Amino acid sequence: MKFTRLNRSLLLMAAAMLTITACKRGHDNPGTQYAPNMYEPVGYEPYKQEEGFKTPYTDKGTKGTALWLPVKGTVSRRNYNTGFGEGDTTTKDLMIYNIPADSIEISERALVNPVPLTEKTLAEGKEYYTRFCQHCHGETGKGDGLVAAQYKGVPNYGGMSGMKEGHIFHVITHGRGRMWPHGSQITPEDRWKIVHYVRKLQTGG
Amino acid sequence: MHTDFIGFSSLKMYSRTAINRVVIVLIILLGSYRSQAQDAAKGKELYSTLCQQCHAVTDEKVIGPGLKGINQRRDEAWLIKWIKNPQAMISSGDAYATALYAKYQPVVMQSFPDLSDDDIKNILAHVEAANAAPAGGDAPGVGAQAGGGAQAAASESPSGLFTVVLVALLVVMLLVLGVLLVLVTILSKAVAPAPGVETTEQTKSFSQRLKDITGNSALRSIVLWLFVFVVIKQTFDGLYSVGVSQGYAPKQPIAFSHKLHAGQYQVNCNYCHTAVYKGKLATIPSANICMNCHGEIKRESPEIQKIYKAIETDTPIEWVRVHNLPDLAYFNHAQHTNVGQVQCQTCHGEVEKMEVMEQRSSLTMGWCIDCHRKTEVATKDNAYYDKLVALHKKGSKEPLRVANIGGLECSKCHF
Repeated sequence: MKFTRLNRSLLLMAAAMLTITACKRGHDNPGTQYAPNMYEPVGYEPYKQEEGFKTPYTDKGTKGTALWLPVKGTVSRRNYNTGFGEGDTTTKDLMIYNIPADSIEISERALVNPVPLTEKTLAEGKEYYTRFCQHCHGETGKGDGLVAAQYKGVPNYGGMSGMKEGHIFHVITHGRGRMWPHGSQITPEDRWKIVHYVRKLQTGG
Repeated sequence: MHTDFIGFSSLKMYSRTAINRVVIVLIILLGSYRSQAQDAAKGKELYSTLCQQCHAVTDEKVIGPGLKGINQRRDEAWLIKWIKNPQAMISSGDAYATALYAKYQPVVMQSFPDLSDDDIKNILAHVEAANAAPAGGDAPGVGAQAGGGAQAAASESPSGLFTVVLVALLVVMLLVLGVLLVLVTILSKAVAPAPGVETTEQTKSFSQRLKDITGNSALRSIVLWLFVFVVIKQTFDGLYSVGVSQGYAPKQPIAFSHKLHAGQYQVNCNYCHTAVYKGKLATIPSANICMNCHGEIKRESPEIQKIYKAIETDTPIEWVRVHNLPDLAYFNHAQHTNVGQVQCQTCHGEVEKMEVMEQRSSLTMGWCIDCHRKTEVATKDNAYYDKLVALHKKGSKEPLRVANIGGLECSKCHF
């Protein structure tokens, strides 16, 4: 078969078009970056893990992380005196919350909800309950959340009308029975707001 | 409402007393019935709200022991005492209670001081009744299994149906093709010129015909322009995609499914991404948050075993970052989710439907700016904005948008 030059170039063009349009970036490929110097952070980003990072975690794995544990003995600001009092606040020192996990009786006795019960704090408590509790404990505390069907053993708030606030706070913080501790996810202040809402569900009010 | 005449209201009076009598008789009847045989239906209701979470009516262990034959195992008085306050029974040193505690510790059964003796008898009657009628007794378990099966079938069937339809279509198309071919051959034979008379079309070689086609100048210019267009478009598309990772869905070290957790089980985003309403970053959950559920369930799964290994060896799980804004732009989650009340899905797409996390939005500056121009500031119930809104209303009829409060200022994000 004899082709003219034009025919050959036409064929080449068609092939080129096919080749160009056929290429798609794979799902594992983030693509090209222009001037990555501008993209990559100069300082340490949280979660950054890099070969040769000298951090306390370096000897645990191959890479060190930019995340460090707090220095021993330090108290996180949110666990310190938050000075509620006027309106949403209390003057109680929140350091009292360092009650050992196995001493729920102390919490029951000693802890009183420092967050005043108002419409606003109750609404916030409901919001936090929806985010952190509802998928197990259910919308109305019947223990009928979607996860509870799998998890099993989530109690019904129905028979708990006499529960102490400190007990609830302690259970959220340290867990109890099948429930694991949720203290790392919710600040003490928000936990107290949840306590307000849980009490509302328990007493059916 | 108030227009009924005397006769009618007296009739109503009469009927009311009659109803009252019937009700009283019914109550007496019910009472006598209850004193003999417990009300299993009432017990079922209580059972499903209070007991089912930890106990099965069969002998299967859920959290606490299965309740089959409970009435034979223990006498009623003991059971009532136990259900009302298990902790007190254990403390009092009751042999059976302490043995139970030893077997199931550290979990102690919840106490139900609010339940009356009758309530407990009803519940026990329900357990008895559920086991007496095998179909009824097994109903919850079987129902759940059947439900699960149906669900699995439902989730499978669309793809199955799709394949069937595809194959059917293919068969039909092949049949049509065959029929058409037959038609063409028959027709071409019918219209074939008598042998001996040669047409130019028939004798032309393939290359000759190709030459004819390529010789057509109109066609040539069309192809040429098409080529130029495609090349230009591809060049610009390629340039625009530099630094844009839209569609990036890397394989993660653990095959975590947002579709399962956030979609099927509706676990709130905030449950795992704890700082999303409070901090600059939404934060990646630490392994202890996984353990809140997986310390108890699905422990044998090989994917979850990877989390256990990470905890045991104290090595971080190396998740691959999907959404990565360049360092030259500042972005703060709390500002958008908490103050701006923007839904997670607005930027991240329908995460609750993603098996593998994917970057759905382009995260380009144009995309940011576009949203800042359109979005109204969430000023409702936020006293901070009150004066600003009042000021804005004086000068403009448009609602207060992000662009009006500096959402287009360079230094707002680039500093």
